[in-house]
Amino acid sequence: MNVEREPSIGSATVSRRELLWQAGGGLGGLALAQLLAEESRAQDTAAVGQPNAGQPELGLGDKGLGDGLHHPPKVRRVLQLFMNGGVSQMDTFDHKPELDCRHGEAIDFGITAAVTSEVGKIMKSPFPFRQHGESGRWVSDVFPHLAGCVDDLAFLMAMASKTNVHGPASYLQNTGFVSPGFPCMGAWISYGLGRIADDLPTFVVLPDHRGLPYNNGGNFSPGFLPAAHQGVIIKPNAPEPIGNLTPPASERITAAGEADGLRLLAEFNRRHLEGRADDSRLGARIASFELAAKMQASAPEVLDLSRETQATRCEYGLDDETTGPFARNCLTARRMLERGVRFVQVWSGMGGPAKNWDNHSDIQTELPFIARSVDKPIAALLRDLKQRGLLEDTLVVWTTEFGRMPFTQGATGRDHNGGTFVTWLAGAGVKAGTTHGASDEFSYQAVEGVTQVHDLHATILHLLGIDHERLTFRHNGIDRRLTDVHGHVIREILG
Amino acid sequence: MSRSAPLAVLLVAIFANWGRGEAPGGAIDFQRDIQPILAARCWSCHGAADAEGGLRLTDRDQATAGAESGAAAIVPGDPDHSELLRRVLATEDGERMPPEGPALPITEVEQLRRWIAEGAQWPAHWAYRRLSQPPTPDTGDDWSQNPIDRFVIAKLTERGLAPSPPADRATLLRRLHFDLLGLPPTAGQIEAFVNDPSPLAYERLVDELLANPSHGERYARHWMDLAHFAETHGHDQDRPRDHAWPYRDYLIAAFNEDKPYGQFVREQVAGDALFPESPQAVVATGFLAAGPWDESSLRDIREDTLDREVARYLDRDDIVTTVMSTFVSSTVHCARCHDHKFDPISQAEYYGLQAVFAAIDKGNRSYDVDPRVGRHRDELAAALAELPSRLASQDPSLDDPELAARVAVWEAEWAATDSLWQPLRLEELVSTGGSTLTSLDDGSVLSGGMRPEQDLYTVMAPIAAGEIRGLRLELLTDDSLPQRGPGRQDNGNLHLNELRLFVIAAEGGEEREIKFARAVADFDQSGWSVDRAIDGQDATAWGIHPQVGQPHEAVFELAEPLVVADPTRLRIELHQTHGGGHLIGRFRLSTTSRTPRLSDRSLEPELARILGVAGEARTPQERRHLAVAYLTRNYQAQAAELPPRSIVYCGSNRFVADGSFRPTPQPRVVRLLHRGDIKQPRDEVQPLTLSCLEDLPAALAVADPADEGARRVALANWLADHRNPLTWRSIANRIWQYHFGRGLVDTPSDFGRMGTAPTHPELLDWLATRLRDRGESLKDLHRLIVTSATYRQSSSNPASDGQESAAQESDRQKSAAVIDGDNHYLWRMNRRRLDAESFRDAVFAVAGTLDSSMGGPSVKQFVQTPGMHVTPNVDYHSADVDGPAMRRRSVYRFLFRTIPDPFMDALDCPDASQWTPTRGESVTPMQALATLNDKAIVRQCEQLAARIERDRPTDPDGHEHAHAAVREILGREASDAEITSLADYLLSHGLANACRVLFNSNEFMFVD
Repeated sequence: MNVEREPSIGSATVSRRELLWQAGGGLGGLALAQLLAEESRAQDTAAVGQPNAGQPELGLGDKGLGDGLHHPPKVRRVLQLFMNGGVSQMDTFDHKPELDCRHGEAIDFGITAAVTSEVGKIMKSPFPFRQHGESGRWVSDVFPHLAGCVDDLAFLMAMASKTNVHGPASYLQNTGFVSPGFPCMGAWISYGLGRIADDLPTFVVLPDHRGLPYNNGGNFSPGFLPAAHQGVIIKPNAPEPIGNLTPPASERITAAGEADGLRLLAEFNRRHLEGRADDSRLGARIASFELAAKMQASAPEVLDLSRETQATRCEYGLDDETTGPFARNCLTARRMLERGVRFVQVWSGMGGPAKNWDNHSDIQTELPFIARSVDKPIAALLRDLKQRGLLEDTLVVWTTEFGRMPFTQGATGRDHNGGTFVTWLAGAGVKAGTTHGASDEFSYQAVEGVTQVHDLHATILHLLGIDHERLTFRHNGIDRRLTDVHGHVIREILG
Repeated sequence: MSRSAPLAVLLVAIFANWGRGEAPGGAIDFQRDIQPILAARCWSCHGAADAEGGLRLTDRDQATAGAESGAAAIVPGDPDHSELLRRVLATEDGERMPPEGPALPITEVEQLRRWIAEGAQWPAHWAYRRLSQPPTPDTGDDWSQNPIDRFVIAKLTERGLAPSPPADRATLLRRLHFDLLGLPPTAGQIEAFVNDPSPLAYERLVDELLANPSHGERYARHWMDLAHFAETHGHDQDRPRDHAWPYRDYLIAAFNEDKPYGQFVREQVAGDALFPESPQAVVATGFLAAGPWDESSLRDIREDTLDREVARYLDRDDIVTTVMSTFVSSTVHCARCHDHKFDPISQAEYYGLQAVFAAIDKGNRSYDVDPRVGRHRDELAAALAELPSRLASQDPSLDDPELAARVAVWEAEWAATDSLWQPLRLEELVSTGGSTLTSLDDGSVLSGGMRPEQDLYTVMAPIAAGEIRGLRLELLTDDSLPQRGPGRQDNGNLHLNELRLFVIAAEGGEEREIKFARAVADFDQSGWSVDRAIDGQDATAWGIHPQVGQPHEAVFELAEPLVVADPTRLRIELHQTHGGGHLIGRFRLSTTSRTPRLSDRSLEPELARILGVAGEARTPQERRHLAVAYLTRNYQAQAAELPPRSIVYCGSNRFVADGSFRPTPQPRVVRLLHRGDIKQPRDEVQPLTLSCLEDLPAALAVADPADEGARRVALANWLADHRNPLTWRSIANRIWQYHFGRGLVDTPSDFGRMGTAPTHPELLDWLATRLRDRGESLKDLHRLIVTSATYRQSSSNPASDGQESAAQESDRQKSAAVIDGDNHYLWRMNRRRLDAESFRDAVFAVAGTLDSSMGGPSVKQFVQTPGMHVTPNVDYHSADVDGPAMRRRSVYRFLFRTIPDPFMDALDCPDASQWTPTRGESVTPMQALATLNDKAIVRQCEQLAARIERDRPTDPDGHEHAHAAVREILGREASDAEITSLADYLLSHGLANACRVLFNSNEFMFVD
C-alpha cells in the first residue's frame, strides 16, 4: 500500500492515511486506526494505543501477501467450518478396528462416569470405513463426498480439549479460554491484520440457518477488543441478511434522499470540524459513513447467488432440501473470501439437543442426518476454492468443540469426550494429504502428537504471518493473547 | 512544529517521552525510570513468581541481598560493585543479561547506574503506600477555583503548559447533563441557563443535577460495567435471570441517596451477613452474582465429574476477580496459576480469596421487602424448627390446658374437612429390569443399583377394610439420584408409561384390576402429561422434565370406589418402558377414602395412629405430639399468610436447590491448585487477602471457619477500612475518570506495577482522602470536580486547524499539542463520544418519547420466543419500536449476555461477560449503519418531525422547521448557511430525514 506519511494538518480534504497519522494527537488514535487500518495495522496501534506494547514495527508493505505482522505470511484469509456439538471422531475420520473387536465389552477407562451419563459398553461404529485417495485416509461412509478430498487435507488426529461441556468447550475452541468474554480468533485476526477490502466487513459469521450455536454470539464476541473487530453476523437465508444494512422500508426513505442525506451530513460534519480538526475521531467518523455507503453498495452483490452457474449450484447442492441451507452459506463464504473478507466462520448445527453434532441418543440416525447436510457442500467448496486459485492464499479449517466416547450412552448414543477429536486443515501453507497425531486404540484419549486448540490457533496465526506470542492486548492487568500462555505451531503439517 | 516534519517520528518521540519520561538532569525516579526497565527486561526470570539463581528484583531487600552466586545484584551507592550492572554490560553468552533479546540500550544502563549511585532508592509501589492528605500546592494563581485546580495548574506549569479558557455556558450545560445524568438538556433548559444572570448559576445547576434521580441511573450504568452485570447466564444454556434487576435498582438508589462509599462496598460483598435487618443489603449481594454462570457444568452434568469441580473454581474466580478489580483495582486473578508475576500477590492469597467465597453460589434468594415481615417470618421459622426438640424433651409448655383446648378445636374441624392420605406399607418389592428396590423409614421406596434401560416395579400393600377412592404417587428426591432425582435418568427425569392397580379378592383368591377415572399431577412435562400413565398405551408416559431435583406428585381417582369388607392386599405395577433409563428413583404410595385432590395433605403415620386413639386413652406424650402437629400447621398457616417474599438473583448459599445444583450449608473445601490445575490440588486454604498493605494484615479474622457469612464480613471490612489505600484511591480515580473520560491512573482496574502510574499522584491522594474523611460522599466529590476550573475548560484546540492565526493562544495550544497531545495533564477538557446508552436515550429524549419512569423488572427491547432448549430465541429486529419497552431508559434494558443488542454493540456497549472499567470508543462502518438505519432511531426521527410540524403547521420555505430541528437536536441556533442546506433537503426528502441527518452528526454524537 502506498502510505502518505507527510501530514497536512488543516487541509480541507483530509485523506484517511493522514488521519491515521494524526491519530496520535488525541484520544481517538485507536479508534481511527481501527477504522482505517489495512494490512499491518496492529503495529501502528500497538504503538499508539497501548502503553506496554513495545516498539512499533513499521513494516508496511503490499508485496503480494504483504509482509505479515511478524513474518511473511502464507495465508491471507481464513475460512473456518465449525461443526457445533462435538463430531464423533470414531464414526467419521478416526478408524478404530479395535472397537469392532471389543464391541459390547465393558472396558475400565478409569472413570466412573462420562459427563452426562454412566459409562456404557464399547460400541463399534455403525458405519463402514474405507480408505481413500493416494494418502489412503480412512473415512467412514457418512462423508462420501469429503472422502474424495482427503488428499487435499491435513488431519490433526489427536486434538484434545480440557473440558467436556459444550459451553466452556465452544468458548475454548473459539477464544482459547473456557470462560465467556474473551475475543474469538476472528476478532484477533481482524485486530492483528485489519481489513483487505474496504467495502465489506473484515470478519463474517454465517450461523446455521436453524439458529445460533451453543453460546450464541458469545462465540463470535470481540471480548475486550474494540468493537470494530466484532464478527458481522450474516444470515443469507433470512429476509434481512445483514442487520441495519439498509433503512427500514418507508415511503419517506428513497435512494435519492439517502444520497442527499449523506452529503448533508458530511457538510454539517465538515463545518463542525472547524476548531476541532485535531480530534481524529471526528474525521474517522466522517470516513465511516463513506465506508458504510460502500458496504451498502457491495453487500447485496455478494449475497446474490443468482449469478452462480447452474453447474455450481448443483455441485454445492444448493437446490437440494438437505444440503441447500448449508450450501448457501458455503457459497456465500466463497464469494466473501473472493471479495476480500479476511475471516469467515461457517457454522453447522445450532445449540440444543438436536439438529447438530451432539449425538447423545443414536449415532446411527443422528450423525448421518447432520453429516449429509454438510458433506457435499464442503467438498464442492474445497474444489471451487482450488479451481479459482483461492486455496493458494486461503486456509480452510474444519473443526468442532470436542469428540465423543467409544462406549455407549443409553443404547446407541455417545457422550462428550474432550479426550480426543479430529480437525482438518486445507489450503495455503498446509501439507496436503498428511496427518499428525493419533488417539489410543479406542479413540478415547489423544496419545501421540496431542494438539490443543492453542496449537491450532498458533498455527493459523503463524500462517497469517503473526507470532501468536506477540499479538497481545492489555486487559485488566494482563497482556492477553489468543493462545493464553500456551500454543506451539504445528510444523508437522506445514508445507 | 514544522509542517513537513514526519509526524510519525515525532509521535514516537512524544510517546517515548511520556512512557519513559526522564526529566533531563533531574533525579532518577524509581517508579518512572527504573521499574519499567525491571518489568520489561528482568522480572520474567527474577520477578515475584520466579527467582532464577536465587535473585528476585522486586524489592530492595531482595535485590541487595546476595544471590546464589554470592554477589549482590545491587550495592546501593556503588554501581561498580553491583552485579546487575556488570551483567547487563557483559557481552559473552551466559554472562549477559537478559540472556535473550537485544542488550539493554545504553540510555537504560546509564539510568540504572545513576539510580544505584544515588543510593538505589526503592520506594514502595505508589498504590500500596499509606494514604494521607498531601498539602495543596501554593500556586498563587488566579485561575484556580478549588484545590483540584491548584494540583492541576502546578503540573501544567511544570511542563510549560497553561489551561484553556472556560467553555461557554451552553457547552458546559450539555457537558454537565450528559456527564451527571446521561441525558441532554432541553431547549428550554439551555435558554434558561444561558440567560441566568446569577454568578452562582453554574453551582446551582450542579446541585440540581446531582439531586436529579436520573443521576443514579447514569452512575448505576457505570457500575454495571465494572460488575459485568447482565441478566442471563452467558454460557451454552443462556437462561434468563428474571430476578437480577433488583440489584440494578439498588445501585440507582445507592447513588441517588449518596450512600457512604464504605457502606456501599460492605453491602455488596456481605450485606446479608452484616445487615440482616436491611432488605436492600441482601439485594446488594447481587453484585457477587452479576457475572456469567455455567449452568451446564454446575447443574446439568453429573456431580461426580471433574468438569463440575473445575466449574466451581472458575465461578469463584469470577467472583474474586469482580470484587478485587472493582474495589481495589487489583489484578489478583493473575495469581491463579502461579504467584503474580509483577505484583506482590501470591497464589496462596488468591486461593485465600477464593476461600472467602467458598460457600457462595449464584442463585435466587428470597427476601422480605418489609423487614418487620421478615422478622415475623424468621420467628415462625425458628418456632417451627424448635418443635421437634420441644417434643423430644417433653416440654411442659406443650401440656398447657389452653393449648390443649385449641388442639381439640383443630382436631374436630380438621379431621372433618381434610382428606386423609394413608401411606401404604409396601412389601414384596420386585424390579423386573434388575434395579435394587429398598424400603425407607418414611414408607418410600428407593431404586438403586444397576440401571436398566426399562423396568417394571411391582409392589404389594396390605389394606384394612374400608373404602378407597384415590391413589397417590409421590416422586421424591434423593441425594443418591442424578440431579437428586426424582428419576434415575442422567437428567433426573423419569417416564411412567402405565400405572396399574389390582386388588386381591381374598387370601389366595383371584385378583381384579381397578381402573382409574382421571389423573392429575402437580407438574407435567410438555407432551408427557400424567393422563398418559393411565391411557392403556405403553408408548405414552408421564414425565417431569425440566422440573427435576424437586419432588412431584400425581393423584389418581378410581373409576369406582373400591370397597373391601376384610383386610386384603393391593398389587401395584409401575411400567417404565420408555427406555434410556427413564426410571423412577424414589416413590411413595398412599390411598384415601375421599375423593382425591392434589392439594390434600397427608398425615404422617404416627399422627394418623394417634388420631385413631380415643382422646382419653392418649398418653401425655401422644397429646404433646398432637399439640406439635397443631402448632406446626398453625405456624405454617401464619407463614403462608405473610406477604409473598421478593426474590433477588445474588451470591449466597440460601437458595432453593435446582437439580443437582444445591446450596452448601458449610463453606466448601478450597485447595491451592498447583499451576491452576484441578488435577494438582495442594493444601486446603483458609480465608486470606492481600499482604502488601502496611497497615492491614492479610489474615482475615474469622472466629468460626464454618460461618460462611463471617468470611465475607471479614473481607468486606478489610475492603472498606479507612486504612486500605487501594479502596479509596480506586474509587477517587474512577469518579475522576467518569468526568474526564480518563482516570488520573489510566488503568482504573489495575493499580499494580503493570498498570500506569498516576499522572497526578498528589491530586489522586488528595481526592481519595477527601472522599474518605468527609463522610465518604461521592456527591461531594462530584460537586468538587465539576465545579473546578479544570473541568470547565474548553475542549477545543483552535491551533489544530492549522490556520496561521495571530493569536498567541493558538501558538500556546500548538505547543501544548506537541508537549501533551493526549492531554494527560489537562490543559483542556476532553471531548467525549456518547456511549451507547447516552446516544439512545438522548435520541428518545429529544424526540419527546422517553419514558422517565424508574425501576422495576427490565424491559425486553426484543421479541422473545421459546428456543429449542434453555436459551430462548431473541429477535431485536422485530421489536415494536413504539412499544412501552422501547421508550424506557437504556439502563432498564434486559441485558442478554450471548445475544446482545446489535445496535448497542455497534456503539461499544461492552460484552457483559467481561469487566469493563473503560468503554471503547470505536468508529466503524457498522456503527454508521446502525445509527443511520436502526428502526427505533428512524422512528424517533419521525416522532420529532411530527411534533415540530404540529407546532408549526405552515412553513413553505422549510426555514422554520430547519431552525426548530437544529434547536431541538443540537441545542443551538442554526447559521444561515445551515438553514439553507437543511431547508433545501427537508423540502425534498421530508423533515424526518433531516432530523435523521442531524442525529447522526458528529456534533450530536460528541460532547465538547
